[in-house]
Amino acid sequence: MEASRGNVQKAEQRAGMKKTEKTNKKRSKQDEEEEEEEDQLFNLNNKSLEEDEDLSDSEESVYSGLEDSGSDPDEEEEEGEDGGSDDDDEDEEDEQDQNEKSTVKKSKKKEGGDEEKEVKKEDEYDHDTSDEEDIRNTVGNIPMEWYKDFPHVGYDLDGKKIFKPIRNKDELDDFLDKMENPDYWKTVHDKKTASDIVLSEEQIELVNRLQKGQFGDVNFNEYEPTVEFFSNDVMIHPVTNRPADKRSFIPSLIEKEKVSKLVHAIKMGWIKPRRVQDDSRGRFYDLWANEDSSILAKHKMHLPAPKIPLPGHEESYNPPPEFMFTDEEKALWEQQDPSDRKLPFIPKKYPSLRQVPAFSRFIHERFERCLDLYLCPRQRKMRVNVNPEDLIPKLPKPKDLQPFPTTQALVYRGHSGLVRSISVSPSGQWLVSGSDDGSVRLWEVCSSRCLKTVQVGGAVKSVAWNPNPSLCLVAVTVDSAVLILSPALADKQVISASERLLSAQQEEGPSEGPQPVVWSEMEGEELNQGIRLKIQHPKPVHQVTWHSKGDYLASVMPDHSSHMQVFIHQLSRRRSQNPFRRNKGLVQAVSFHPIRPYFFVATQRSVRIYNLVKQEMTKKLQANSKWISSIAVHSGGDHVICGSYDCRLSWFDLDLSTKPYKMLRHHKKAVRSVAYHRGYPLFASASDDGSVIVCHGTVYNDLLQNPLIVPVKVLRGHVITHDLGVLDVTFHPTQPWVFSSGADATIRLFT
Amino acid sequence: MSQLQARFFTEDQRYVVDDVPFSIPAASEVQDLSNVINKLLEAKHASHSRVEFDFLVKGQFLRTQLATHMETEGISTEDVVEIEYVQRITAPEPEECIMHDDWISSVEADSEWILTGSYDKTARIWSLEGKAVTTVAGHSDVVKDVAWVKRDGLTSLLLTASLDQTVLLWEWNSERNQVKARHCCRGHTGSVDAISTDPTGSKFCSGSWDKMLKIWSAVPTEEADEVEESADRPRKKQKTQQLGLTRTPLMTLSGHNEAVSSVLWCDSEEVCSASWDHTIRLWDVEAGVMKTTLSGSKVFNCISYSPLCRRLASASTDRHIRLWDPRTKDGTLVLLSLTSHTGWITAVKWAPSHEHQLISGSLDNLVKLWDTRSCKAPLYDLAAHEDKVFCVDWTDSGLMLSGGADNKLYTYKYSAAQTDAGA
Repeated sequence: MEASRGNVQKAEQRAGMKKTEKTNKKRSKQDEEEEEEEDQLFNLNNKSLEEDEDLSDSEESVYSGLEDSGSDPDEEEEEGEDGGSDDDDEDEEDEQDQNEKSTVKKSKKKEGGDEEKEVKKEDEYDHDTSDEEDIRNTVGNIPMEWYKDFPHVGYDLDGKKIFKPIRNKDELDDFLDKMENPDYWKTVHDKKTASDIVLSEEQIELVNRLQKGQFGDVNFNEYEPTVEFFSNDVMIHPVTNRPADKRSFIPSLIEKEKVSKLVHAIKMGWIKPRRVQDDSRGRFYDLWANEDSSILAKHKMHLPAPKIPLPGHEESYNPPPEFMFTDEEKALWEQQDPSDRKLPFIPKKYPSLRQVPAFSRFIHERFERCLDLYLCPRQRKMRVNVNPEDLIPKLPKPKDLQPFPTTQALVYRGHSGLVRSISVSPSGQWLVSGSDDGSVRLWEVCSSRCLKTVQVGGAVKSVAWNPNPSLCLVAVTVDSAVLILSPALADKQVISASERLLSAQQEEGPSEGPQPVVWSEMEGEELNQGIRLKIQHPKPVHQVTWHSKGDYLASVMPDHSSHMQVFIHQLSRRRSQNPFRRNKGLVQAVSFHPIRPYFFVATQRSVRIYNLVKQEMTKKLQANSKWISSIAVHSGGDHVICGSYDCRLSWFDLDLSTKPYKMLRHHKKAVRSVAYHRGYPLFASASDDGSVIVCHGTVYNDLLQNPLIVPVKVLRGHVITHDLGVLDVTFHPTQPWVFSSGADATIRLFT
Repeated sequence: MSQLQARFFTEDQRYVVDDVPFSIPAASEVQDLSNVINKLLEAKHASHSRVEFDFLVKGQFLRTQLATHMETEGISTEDVVEIEYVQRITAPEPEECIMHDDWISSVEADSEWILTGSYDKTARIWSLEGKAVTTVAGHSDVVKDVAWVKRDGLTSLLLTASLDQTVLLWEWNSERNQVKARHCCRGHTGSVDAISTDPTGSKFCSGSWDKMLKIWSAVPTEEADEVEESADRPRKKQKTQQLGLTRTPLMTLSGHNEAVSSVLWCDSEEVCSASWDHTIRLWDVEAGVMKTTLSGSKVFNCISYSPLCRRLASASTDRHIRLWDPRTKDGTLVLLSLTSHTGWITAVKWAPSHEHQLISGSLDNLVKLWDTRSCKAPLYDLAAHEDKVFCVDWTDSGLMLSGGADNKLYTYKYSAAQTDAGA
């Protein structure tokens, strides 16, 4: 019941809204009439509060289909209040209904109303369609002034006129009545019927109660405990018995229309299907995805613990048959060393998980795992992953650096002892060699023919062909003497020129006591052999070298204890001098600068460069080796190579540094000799390991470009004799050929 | 593919077979093909006696299986293969071994006599049979080259060049076996390494270590040329070297940057010289100017010119024999390289009667007989020498000679040279 009431209330409100609209329209039409209405309204308002009740109740009547009967705006305003206080029982309601309409007839029809009520109780739905109103005047809710000129005030249900009372009261009558009639205060005029109604005691009581704001029913307990109607209790029956609407059973046309519009829109491509959200970015948080980039990984040295491989089928308690071991596999497994086994266990099959025994190796395996974790490296080794090929400097192929000697062409045989030293004539036609067998031999280069043999009676340590092409002289060291040889292998002009130089009148210089060096002319047999001069030194001479002009020659007598290790001799004046006053170390080799007045002195560890004009040391080259064996100066004079007994070859750029620009360690044994080519960018080193290594060394004019030093060829041929291999190496002056002399008593030409 | 279509042809009229394509096994080798030809010839002439043939496919000697050869040469096996056949050159037979006292530096033979120069400072004349005829002594140093100039009946003119910087022109009377030094050609300031007589025998050219080429008159006269003797020349030496009348050069050709190693006359007015400066130069003797330069990359030891094929053959220190066309102006075109030697090639000589053949001598002790149609491998290796070979020669009569550091001069008879002469 009450639920339905609620519904009704809402409906009322809605209806009320409509009503206001309608009334508004009406108002505009009926402006004139309204003024009258207002009067009436005021009257109504003035009348009393009981009117409120009536009005509110009239609302019901409005609802019940009589809305068109011009309802007042006041009535509507009060709807809310009515809704709030509309908790009355049906009885009450009915009573009020009666009140509202016509107090005059109310009392009369009260009983009948009650009866109706009871019937209504039977059928609650009658309430909705209620037109139960007790209508005696059918004119509706109109201002009754419209009827003031008529004898009647309306029509009853049968269509008969309801006539006004015949005697109309005037003011006097009214006053008299007021004065005389004790019931006057409880008499109410009913406009509709134009009759006076005297209220009964109950009605007055009710009015009083309502005026006080109390419920109409005395017995109504407004504080009754509430009974939750809508509760959390699931009811098996619906709250209302109302049958479901038909529309709830048929598909909605509106929805269908909407859906078809959407379908059409999708078909036409106006609506794109909703994009599938990309899960990868941020929607889900993958805890393990970037384990390394977690907090630990911020440390560069972080190393994640090694992971255990996931278990496979073979570890199942019920592995598939293909994982089970055959007998052979089992036998093999048992034979294998535990570390070699592919699986650390034998897969076993159990009918059910319940029957799997405890894992016997559990402790052991845990322990091993702990060991793994404990022993695994905790720090990442910063290993630079470099392809070793990339570390090798990009060198041109030797093929592109032609020409250089590649094969052995000629062997010069004839010596019987190891050949200590060789030297080529400046024209490149002749070769001189000095050997331990006490002979100096002169060879024709192109045919390996020995043209001349000069017996000098002692092991020859060093030979040097005079580099001046207008002279034909060879300097030879025998024991403690330097011999000047005239091989007579040149043009007659040249030969005579050199003879003249040798036989030049010796200047009688001021002799200051006994000279350490004695010059003497040879005679007899030795003169016939070509030996012209003998320069006797105090100690064994190890090396002799010419100045490029061919007049000066330097000889070396290595001696720790003396400052007389180097002598420079001038051939034309037969003079000798010791340029150094102090002993700066064991002198190994000396060399003249090919162009400038510089003199290179190689001691065991370093090379000193002296300016012969200024008589001072200009530079000291650190060879970075323990014992220098030989030195060679490039024909341009800018580069020096040093061979050392500790297998190294150091290449110096004099303009660049006093440290070797490059150290070459290609030889297996001591480097005995080094040589520069006069024209080609080649240098060679000879070693005790029996090989000659030819290197290409280009220096570019562009100073920004590094010198190109490439070993191009290892030349082998000499037989190692008494642990000595190649003893001397020298280049042909014009061709890219290299001569080497070895301990096997041969000289070889490589072309 | 087991069969090939082949057509055989030859220039030699004696051995012509019918010009019909034959189907021959692809795997057949020289011997098989030779058998085929012999069979055909036997069928043609009943009197045919067996001859060994050699076969050329597209101008290259067949040395392997026919299919392999064609594959390497890139010849299509679809077409009919044209195979030329020639009578096989039989191996040169060693004839004589002439012993010398010292290394043999040079050899030149004509139709009757062999002239050799030796490191014992003498030149020797031998008969073709290897009999020593006479010794030409007079040089004060090693004889580096020898040359015949001309022969007038019994009198011959010959030249010897020596390390002592002179060239001696000798007159030799074969009947009386007397040698007389007619002229001493002075002017070089280095050892004279090469001499060559012009085709008419009136001039000769010498090349020396002093980088010069000199043209001399080869006509003996009774007058000595004026020589500017330097005043301070030692008298002693002057006397010893006064052998024959002094002769001065007609012309000096300078241009080489290094020692001249070999000279020859291409024709009557053209001299060709090879040098250690890696060039071969052609000179116009008339004008005394250089005409062409052929540049190589290695030292040239020897050159030889064949008027038949008009090619220069050069012997280099890098073990290759190279063929040049001296007429090309760009001058750097190597037509062909013959590679088989393992040492310096010291001597090379074209066959006088065959345009494809030449012999070479090398420091690897070998003398090789080459055919330019087979540049990968020589026809024959003549491994007679026990030491370095310095000189080779090939006479018009088909005699090959080689001498070297083992003091031996070998002569070889080359029989087949006659048969296909002019082929």
